[in-house]
Amino acid sequence: MIVEGRVQIPFRYAAGAAASRFGAALRDERRILGARCTGCDRVLCPPGPFCGSCGGAAGAAVEVGPGATLLAWTELPDRGAFALVRLDGADGALAHRLVDVPEPRVGMRLRARFAPERGGDIRDIEGFGAEGIER
Amino acid sequence: MTAGAIAAEPLGVACPMDLGWRYASGAAMERFLAGLRERRIEALRCDGCGRRYLPPRPLCGDCRLPLDRWVPVAAAGTLEAWSVYRLPILDGRTGEPRPTPYGIGLVRLDGADTTINHLLAETDPGRLRIGLRVRAVWREELRGALDDILHFEVAR
Amino acid sequence: MSAVAIIGTGQTRHASRRDDVSQPELVREAAEAALADAAVGPDEVDAVLLANMELFEGRALPELWAGAGAFAAGKPCMKVATGGTSGTSGCIAAFHQVAAGLFDLVLVVGFEKHSEGHSQTGMALTDPFWDRAVASGALGNFALSISQYVAERGATAEQAALVAVKARRNAARNPHAHLRMGDLTVEEVLSSRMLADPVRLLDMCPQSDGACAIVVASAAAARRRSRRPAWVLAAETRHEQPYIGDIDRRLVTMRTLRDAARVAYRRAGIGDPLTDLDVAEIYEPVSYAELAWYEALGFCADGDAGRLVEEGVTGMEGELPVNPSGGVLSSNPVGASGVIRVAEAALQIHGRGGERQVEGARLALATGYGVYAWADAVVLGAEAGAT
Repeated sequence: MIVEGRVQIPFRYAAGAAASRFGAALRDERRILGARCTGCDRVLCPPGPFCGSCGGAAGAAVEVGPGATLLAWTELPDRGAFALVRLDGADGALAHRLVDVPEPRVGMRLRARFAPERGGDIRDIEGFGAEGIER
Repeated sequence: MTAGAIAAEPLGVACPMDLGWRYASGAAMERFLAGLRERRIEALRCDGCGRRYLPPRPLCGDCRLPLDRWVPVAAAGTLEAWSVYRLPILDGRTGEPRPTPYGIGLVRLDGADTTINHLLAETDPGRLRIGLRVRAVWREELRGALDDILHFEVAR
Repeated sequence: MSAVAIIGTGQTRHASRRDDVSQPELVREAAEAALADAAVGPDEVDAVLLANMELFEGRALPELWAGAGAFAAGKPCMKVATGGTSGTSGCIAAFHQVAAGLFDLVLVVGFEKHSEGHSQTGMALTDPFWDRAVASGALGNFALSISQYVAERGATAEQAALVAVKARRNAARNPHAHLRMGDLTVEEVLSSRMLADPVRLLDMCPQSDGACAIVVASAAAARRRSRRPAWVLAAETRHEQPYIGDIDRRLVTMRTLRDAARVAYRRAGIGDPLTDLDVAEIYEPVSYAELAWYEALGFCADGDAGRLVEEGVTGMEGELPVNPSGGVLSSNPVGASGVIRVAEAALQIHGRGGERQVEGARLALATGYGVYAWADAVVLGAEAGAT
């Protein structure tokens, strides 16, 4: 016998110190902030709170992008293209969506597209479009 | 912790989640739930310790023996523990708040050795005590689930 | 098996909301504090153990995301989740790893952010066939068992209220505690809102955001690095049958905790826990449970727990101070709460308890209690036992 059901749970997560700085800059200034790792000097983007390679804390803010390079991509059924991009000035890769990229290819240049309505989190970047294609 | 300028305002991300699930009962529970549809309650008896398990399950946790001896259990029994719950709590089946207050109890049904955790019709703590005789109140349209028993009422 | 010790502890400020930090940042606060206390660098840690009940926050893979806060990248890292015992079981798993000779230094971090999810619902998502239609969470389960305990042992609401007052007054001396109520009275507990008969609001633990960490060391590392290691003399954990109705009068019989404590005392050479132990940090999610635990832990004869708290035997000035930290009744970030018990017991042996220090503590007990189905007992001492 099978039992099925549903439940709704209202989760709400604190962004924390590092992500709050990132979110506020996106929302209020349409700027993408990375952070310099206090341990190994890499520029993290997404900025922390901790460096994936050395475990150090995210330090001073460093503006990165909005230009970026496509590192990897795939097409997800019903969900569009999903990609890893490296923002100009950052050392890490950011996972995000591709929008307006008719023919994605690794190594191509991209540009962040900001959402018109912004709430202070990663969704304030709608996705990355091909450089030169404007809407 | 983090050096440099930090946003003064802590941000949050709201993620209301709508979760679905689908669980398989297993054979022992299937027989039990099918029985409820006919107002029949059965337990599984351990040949090792003699304990009659309700919920019926395929293994005795203490003796580590497989169980397959079904024994009949009555829809009436003795209240072994109780409380009257007054806090709004979400129903784990629906996510909807359950109306309060409501009675809860552990009931040892005649013919079983374990107790079952269920709801009580009585919500006046002055009228509840351990040792009271209680009986099952059945749903009108039985569907083969534990809540085919709506709650237990005090037998007067 | 070789000797194991705790050489550092650290914890966050526990509160109903820690909106200022994300989960990984909360973990980092506790991890950094424990490493600093032990004078161990993050790179020197061999392995990381996390304790967390992820369904409370509805977050997949906390060991991955929060693990970054515990410096876990590139190291062995795993998570323990056993309800309220998650933290003590996480500590015990680390003791086993070090005792087995696998690692010299293990960092344990327990954490929970109840404010980010809906813990009641998390608790209600139990067995879909038996529990979901009727489950009323930890409070409902405890209220049922308390009705049996009160009927059989004669414990009173006043005695339970004394436990609640002791916890919150002790918490006033603990800068990390969530509920610090130095002036709380028995009358206030007895007139607080009824939640589930006979449990009132102030009889119950809060839901807290917080994290706690310890550094576990091999004997050689402990002797090299610590002036006063807290040696692990015993660490026992017990599991129960799955369904609350399986357990015969849980708070009365307390098979899990009784068994764990009995074996732990034997291993640690404890004859009479009340006189031999100097301090205890026990996992009491509700005031009545502390009374039941006194009996299960052998602090007194069955039925005598109320007298212990009435006479102040377990108060700060008594023969066996219980929960100088304020206990779970004062701070309850679930995944962290068991680590807090062990860390507070270690802190007493380290002699670094500040205002909550029990003078000259040399033998300490920490316990964990999870759902109705797990119990842990850990004995720490100022001297390494026979191995």
